[in-house]
Amino acid sequence: MTKTLRQVGIDLQESEDNRALIEAIEGDNPDLTIRHLPGLIKLQAPGQIVINRQSVEAKLGREWETGEFQLAIVSYAGNFSEWDDDQIIVNWEH
Amino acid sequence: MQYELRYQVIEPKRHTYQNVIDRLGDQPASRYLEATLDVQPTENFHYRPTWAQDRELYDDRFSALRLSDPYAFTDPRQYYYTPYVTNRAALHDEFGKTISYLEDRDLLAKLPDAWQAVLSSTVVPLRHYESGAQLVSVAGARFAYGTAIEQCCSFAAFDRIGNAQMLSRVGIAVGGGTAAVLASAKQEWLAGPHLQPLRRLIEEIMVLDDWAEGLLAVDYIDQQLYPLLYQSLDESALLGGAGAYSLFSQHLAAWFADQRKWLDALTKAWADDPERGVANQEHLARIHDTWAPRATEAAAALEATVGDIS
Repeated sequence: MTKTLRQVGIDLQESEDNRALIEAIEGDNPDLTIRHLPGLIKLQAPGQIVINRQSVEAKLGREWETGEFQLAIVSYAGNFSEWDDDQIIVNWEH
Repeated sequence: MQYELRYQVIEPKRHTYQNVIDRLGDQPASRYLEATLDVQPTENFHYRPTWAQDRELYDDRFSALRLSDPYAFTDPRQYYYTPYVTNRAALHDEFGKTISYLEDRDLLAKLPDAWQAVLSSTVVPLRHYESGAQLVSVAGARFAYGTAIEQCCSFAAFDRIGNAQMLSRVGIAVGGGTAAVLASAKQEWLAGPHLQPLRRLIEEIMVLDDWAEGLLAVDYIDQQLYPLLYQSLDESALLGGAGAYSLFSQHLAAWFADQRKWLDALTKAWADDPERGVANQEHLARIHDTWAPRATEAAAALEATVGDIS
């Protein structure tokens, strides 16, 4: 049986601060598709989405803790398989 | 009866301002970029400055260090008015709390004598140094070409006033709420042999024509002074029973870390410039060779007086 890559997704609130976050996610995930809804941005990618603290900090111009991601997120599809100080990975584990 | 709920997306005619669209295309941009890119006037200057007739009012030739695109440098901290003010308000709030803690318990007045002497004869007089550095930054704010750089210089100038203010408050606290230490600190600055090389140096830098050279020259001093006074001395304070010193010096060390971010990025932008990079590197090397040894010399004179304690 071939393994099909299911889509994982994150929905983020659209705001000044989150824009830098979205740019960073866009840079780290080449297969990302972005949809704008009013007040909301839906990010989708096959397999997994990676968020790196360093790239977010570079875009944001200040220190950023991965915990702050909680403030941005509205909804998600997938599992948070990793959430440590430097990286967040969302994917389907099964 | 049924209602059908639908939403309708109204696409904005433009996502950002023209100055950003010209460079990055029509996409939402950060407030920092909107308030920075190509904001500086570049044409229709009606009058030339009477004191420099071969220059425009705003002219990138005011410094030997030039960028082919002045916006190739942007502030890594992305400071425009609001984030800068919020950030510094927080810094000074923290400092205010520290100093009132120190005052409530008379901790600075209770410092060991040797430490009090270092504070009043070496650290507090540096508020006059900060004042000189402020003038140099103001020159950058006026003569730098490109809003990104001017902004950083203006903020750096305000920072210097803030630093001088922190040192003054420490001086007042050491003097038990009087200005006596500030007055004696000024005498030290004017006459103390350990401070004269530094005073001479900052005064020479103040009258430099090239704003960028001045900025870098002051930075060479900072690179010696700040680690010496607010990091290595801080450590000996903690070990030597002068914790009060460390409590306030942490705020100046925090400021210096912040200052490094934009200056390092700017120096890198100068050196990496695609057209003027090579010329810039030559100027950077010349500026370094002229001022860095003098900064070391000035810091050494100062270090000699604080050396016994650490």
